[in-house]
Amino acid sequence: MKSKGLMFCMLPGVLVWFGLSLTTLPSAAGDETTNEPDRADQADIERLLEVIDVDPYEVPPLVLKRDHNYARSAVDVEPFRHVTPFREHFLEQMEYTGPGRAIPEPENLETVKIGFIGPIMSTVSVATGGKSHEEALGIAMLRGTQLAVEQANQRGGYLERAIPFELVISNDNGLWGASGNEIIKLAYKDKVWAILGTIDGANSHIAIRVALKAEIVMMNTGDTDPTFIETNIPWVFRCIGDDRQMGYLLVDYLYRKLNYTRIGVIRGSNRYGRFGVREIRDGARRLGHPVILEMAYQVGARDFSLQLERLQASNLEAIVHWGDAVEGALILNQMRAMGMDHPYYACDRCVSDEFLALAGDNAEGVVCGYPWHPARQDEDLELFRRAFRRRFGVEPDTYSAHGYDGMNMLIWAIQTAGLNRAKIRDVLAHRARPHKGVTGVIPFSACLDDLGEVFLARVENGEWEFYSRQDLDIPQGTIAPRDRVSRKTAATGGG
Amino acid sequence: MNPITCRPGGVTVLLTAFLVGPWTVVRESIAVAPSQPNSPEKTGDKAGAASSAPDLPGMPYVYTNWKQYTTKDGLPNDHIFAVKVDGDRVWVGTEDGLACLDKRTNRIQTWGEKQGLPWRAVGAIDVHPKTGDVWLGLFGGGLARFSGGRFDHWHQLNSGLVNDVVYGVCVENDNIWAATTAGASRYNTTNGEWSIFTEKNAPMEEIWNYGCCYADGLLYLGVWGSGVLEYNIERGTWKDYLDPDGEMEIDLYRDDGIVHVITTGVSYVEKTLWVTTYFGASRYDGRHWRGYFAHESGLPSDFNNAVIGRSANEAWFSTDKGLGVLADFPTDTWVTYTKDHKTRKGKAVVQRGKDVLTVIETPPSLPHNYILWVDFDGDDVWVGTSKGLGRAIGRGYYPGLRHSKDALGKDN
Repeated sequence: MKSKGLMFCMLPGVLVWFGLSLTTLPSAAGDETTNEPDRADQADIERLLEVIDVDPYEVPPLVLKRDHNYARSAVDVEPFRHVTPFREHFLEQMEYTGPGRAIPEPENLETVKIGFIGPIMSTVSVATGGKSHEEALGIAMLRGTQLAVEQANQRGGYLERAIPFELVISNDNGLWGASGNEIIKLAYKDKVWAILGTIDGANSHIAIRVALKAEIVMMNTGDTDPTFIETNIPWVFRCIGDDRQMGYLLVDYLYRKLNYTRIGVIRGSNRYGRFGVREIRDGARRLGHPVILEMAYQVGARDFSLQLERLQASNLEAIVHWGDAVEGALILNQMRAMGMDHPYYACDRCVSDEFLALAGDNAEGVVCGYPWHPARQDEDLELFRRAFRRRFGVEPDTYSAHGYDGMNMLIWAIQTAGLNRAKIRDVLAHRARPHKGVTGVIPFSACLDDLGEVFLARVENGEWEFYSRQDLDIPQGTIAPRDRVSRKTAATGGG
Repeated sequence: MNPITCRPGGVTVLLTAFLVGPWTVVRESIAVAPSQPNSPEKTGDKAGAASSAPDLPGMPYVYTNWKQYTTKDGLPNDHIFAVKVDGDRVWVGTEDGLACLDKRTNRIQTWGEKQGLPWRAVGAIDVHPKTGDVWLGLFGGGLARFSGGRFDHWHQLNSGLVNDVVYGVCVENDNIWAATTAGASRYNTTNGEWSIFTEKNAPMEEIWNYGCCYADGLLYLGVWGSGVLEYNIERGTWKDYLDPDGEMEIDLYRDDGIVHVITTGVSYVEKTLWVTTYFGASRYDGRHWRGYFAHESGLPSDFNNAVIGRSANEAWFSTDKGLGVLADFPTDTWVTYTKDHKTRKGKAVVQRGKDVLTVIETPPSLPHNYILWVDFDGDDVWVGTSKGLGRAIGRGYYPGLRHSKDALGKDN
């Protein structure tokens, strides 16, 4: 299965779009349109709309999702698995209990505004570990959302009023907290109906705190930090598999399939590296083979000899990298130059053409986690690729595809619920059937995280190949439906 | 420590008294709060019949006399973010403007951006006791001082304020602390000096500050993702309080520390620290921690927006499903206030731990069940909700529990 060429590419023209209404832009999507998102059962939707039509004081009796197991975690990689914790979180869906559902739709709108926030302009940021490095990802994400909005406008825009959607674009790649200010602006000044965005974990957390207080949906399509969703905020959604899911798959592959016992880790010193690798570290320890050595590097570094010398001296069987593609490739090259022939594993950010170009032959055999299967045969995906290429002249990457799916989900929710932020939240959070996007089916967990299948990507003959757990026959620990309650209670020592 | 047994004559006597007491109240039943012989005089407030505490043996004080304020009464917006009582004035921060309610005249004065308020959303308020200056934490607009009818404005581009998204503000001596989404800032009002606290100089694993409070030489910060930080003003030293299990998806032991690191509120009173999170709440007396969750207490919900302690034994929790009051810590006695959306009336549930002792229907009480802030006003309590401001009138308020002379055979 060959990939269709995953590219990170940045057009200088994107900066021209900043701050402009997309409704003023000529559409380049042509007559190719991708399939609309899977329509949930209409009867269910109508019932849902009836239920959420309440006064300011009533909390609608919505059925709350209940998960029996958090994040499909295998028993043997759960924290403190030998005892029952006093309290387990994220198993029951959060409610919105405020008065927002009773706010009437405003009159005299010319457009229906949806916010985009992401790293699209270069800056020096403490939040992202120095000079910014995520613009390529942010611009790719922006393009996916733009395409979704343009296609929706081609279909008639906001159908209830026959007015166009407008994407209000913000950059979050500033100093600490820039995302907070931008969300404030989107929510209060621009008065958008929902917001899509953020990639960097720190900015994402800042953004969702503001979204909670301002009471507006935040759809994340690019931040794989597991803790992003572990905040109990009923306004937050994520439609991309996270580092917990990809970490679990990698752990199973490394320890249950390949039977490694001595793994070393090298990661970026930023939040992405720090939190992304946590499930690898915890999983390894819980399976009885703690990570032997974990080394961090400054984001943007080009010399990794200090870290690699220590890893080399640690008698390792394999090395896991968690960081950006450039650093990932440079580390790999330096390893090989030092005579380190360890198998090399990495995170999804390394699954890029940039990595392949930099690593060259060294890339062969590298295995990474990946949140979806971009090379699968799927009509919607093919239509999306074609439309994206026509519009932007480049191949879509993972950020484009997830941005496209996330924006389509928001547009669907607005079309369904109308112009009410709380109801937009409700229909997204309580739709009966999961959305089927170009990245696959997106089933939400109780905490509104994407529980869709994740994959491994392996470089074979200079190209990325994608494999499911089933493809590689990777064993998995037992996922107990509710085993934990029968164990001893930590707080009492009793049953 | 077992809180049930800390107060002599506790539970057994109390429950017996319920069955023989002056009120025909039994557990799990509903009683309508009557006017009591020694209850306060009628006030004529629109909250309805005035009645204060159900004078049951061993019962906590229950607020049954409430007054509500909304935009119809002159508030600039019904989404109340912050409330601060300052003598006869009650400052109200809303999503769209600042208000001041004069308790003597019941008149409300408002300020919006057209009246000089630097930014519409007022998320936090404190009043400097020496100067009377009103300090405003602006949600997305920085820090403002309202003094002598004038607003002064500090933001991240003209001062040492580390970020414009200010969640909490508090006065510490001559300093003003601002808890922002990107660290904490301290402004010295005497020399104009700013100090910034982030991960560079404080033990903030994350820097997303949510709330702050000051008492007894200690400044507390509630930090989303970094638990609670304690700053000793005299020594200039930090101490952190984290969830000991270190896991996001569980709380391993209830009483081993804060229940979660996603901290939303802190309140320090009588050497006792009250902490809220979106996952439950905690109390720390300097030696022992006690965790609280909705499934085993009077907390209406684990989703706590804020907390304010009235004493070491009493705290008020602002949740998304009502107002939880731990009325008496030693006996784990709670009063939970909610609003019935159909009748618009109020309900107060008195319970010990998870055991409901009585349910009292009241005239309209809370304006809404989504509670964002509480402040004390002597015996009264002001409650900010997402749909109006409430005032609980506390004539005859008493702390802790009051035991019936008949039931207990002694006069407390």
